[in-house]
Amino acid sequence: MTKINKSVEDELIIARQELAFQKVEKGKRAAELGIANIELVFQDEEKEKRAAELVIANKEVVFQNKEKEKRAAELIIANKEVVFQNKEKEDRAAELIIANKELIFQNDEKEKRAAELGIANIELVFQNKEKENRAAELIIANKELVFQNEEKEKRAAELSIANTELVFQNEEKEKRAAELIIANKELAFQNEEKEKRAAELIIANKELAFQNEEKEKRATELGIANIELAFQNEEKEKRATELGIANIELAFQNEEKEKRASELSIANKELLAFTYVSSHDLQEPLRKIQTFCSIILENENENLSEKGKYNFERMQQAAGRMQQLIDDLLAFSRINTTELIFEEADLKIIIEEIISDLKETIQDKHATIDASGLGSANIIPFQFRQLMYNLISNALKFSKPDLPSKMVIKSNIVNGSKINNKKLSADKNYCHITVKDNGIGFESHFSERIFEVFQKLHSKEVYGGTGIGLAIVKKIVENHNGIIIATSELDKGATFDIYFPKSQ
Amino acid sequence: MLLKQMNILLADDDTDDCIFFKEALQELFIPSDFTTVHDGEQLMQLLNNETTELPHVLFLDLNMPRKNGFECLSEIKRNEKLSGIPVIILSTSFEHETVNQLHKSGAHYYIRKPSQFSQFKSLIQQSLEYIAQALTDQPSRDNFVLNTQCN
Repeated sequence: MTKINKSVEDELIIARQELAFQKVEKGKRAAELGIANIELVFQDEEKEKRAAELVIANKEVVFQNKEKEKRAAELIIANKEVVFQNKEKEDRAAELIIANKELIFQNDEKEKRAAELGIANIELVFQNKEKENRAAELIIANKELVFQNEEKEKRAAELSIANTELVFQNEEKEKRAAELIIANKELAFQNEEKEKRAAELIIANKELAFQNEEKEKRATELGIANIELAFQNEEKEKRATELGIANIELAFQNEEKEKRASELSIANKELLAFTYVSSHDLQEPLRKIQTFCSIILENENENLSEKGKYNFERMQQAAGRMQQLIDDLLAFSRINTTELIFEEADLKIIIEEIISDLKETIQDKHATIDASGLGSANIIPFQFRQLMYNLISNALKFSKPDLPSKMVIKSNIVNGSKINNKKLSADKNYCHITVKDNGIGFESHFSERIFEVFQKLHSKEVYGGTGIGLAIVKKIVENHNGIIIATSELDKGATFDIYFPKSQ
Repeated sequence: MLLKQMNILLADDDTDDCIFFKEALQELFIPSDFTTVHDGEQLMQLLNNETTELPHVLFLDLNMPRKNGFECLSEIKRNEKLSGIPVIILSTSFEHETVNQLHKSGAHYYIRKPSQFSQFKSLIQQSLEYIAQALTDQPSRDNFVLNTQCN
């Protein structure tokens, strides 16, 4: 029995030693837990501080938002975008306030939990001390302790889990804080942008104000200008009315003048027609007087006294002169009554026709006419023929009695600038026709007068004629919008230069 | 130059001119059968009368009553039966355009009635000689006008 008791005693000793060791281990463990709990408490305090700072920061943010709202309200009301952004910010701020309240609530919860943990730890410390005191005495209590340890381990595991939870929450809070910092930065940036925008708007407003002033000035000026214009318009209307009346008056006068002009034109045509018809009809009785005269002189020659013969001859001469006058008047009236129709005509052919008509006179005068240098020209053919006829017959008439008549007729084209005459324009081309003879000529100071109607340089006893021939020439040249220049010296022949536009 | 007996027709309303013509023929001793009419209608009636022997030559005045010389000339030249008759125009006036027109219309000669009777006689003789020489051919324009003076 003793042996058995001894072995039981040994086993108890060993168990006691073991328990003692376990107690020491548990003490160490409890001490470690205590330290861990203190650490946790410290961390919670830190988190609280941090949360409190965040609350203050959020309040600050809220305050800044309000300030910004005031600022935005002061800015141009028209800036709807800014208002809209402000509303957005207010919403954000409200969200942040809610988030902050949430955080505050979470922190409160954590504080409560931490306080509970603190109390629990104090309890555990106390219990451990009690257990250490009782350990030596109570073996049975060990089972309790084992159980309690298990409980504590569970609790430690729970605390560990709680710590993990707290670490996670802290991380979340840090993230949130970081987010809040970013949000603050964003808000600060937005504020800067708004300030910039506000500054821009202020500048824009100043610009608009300046433009308004300018526009007002301009409007004032325009107002004055409008008054001026209105006055001028009134004046113009008055003037227009006056002009209208004047125009009506002028129109009436013009009509009267046109009537008068057409009356005159008709009268003139009638007069010319009368001249033509009367001249034409006068020819016939005149010719008969001449013919009867010539019959009497031929057949009754021996029955007439010398005086009678002389008187008959004078009668014939007078009748001849009248015939010449009628012929010239006819020619002159024909020039004024015929239409001015221009045609391109060969001057050489016209001259040849005239030479043919005048062939008897040409033979009598032993005249030669050189018309080889002639081209074509834009002329009124009928009139131009009369013109050349008059010039050629004039040259034949005023040829020197003792010298065969010699005429040179030529034409060329010259530019007005080379003619040096005021009546011709320098930018036109002119047809230039020259008729040059070797006749008796005339003193140079008669060069204009010879073209006047009924102007003669010789008595009709010496050279017959009516003084119409060269007047007709001049009239025809004028009908061709041209000029004629006579150049001569007494006994040295005469030259007639005609210039008229190459194309009419 | 000896002329054959010619059948000469004169259309002229002026009695004096008809007398001048007749006297000229007499003084020139031209053997002729001389007829006168005094207006254009008479002339055309005579020529269109089938019993009439057509004249060898017609002297035609331009300014005649009822039907003037221009109308008669173109009627004659359009008429196949009459177009062969040589027509010599007699006129107091001389207008170039008119003369050209008459030549184109087919007249043989144009005589401007001169103021001297001797000239008139010589023109009658000249024209009759030309006609006798070349009875049907119309002369060129150059030889169309027979006169001693023109304007």
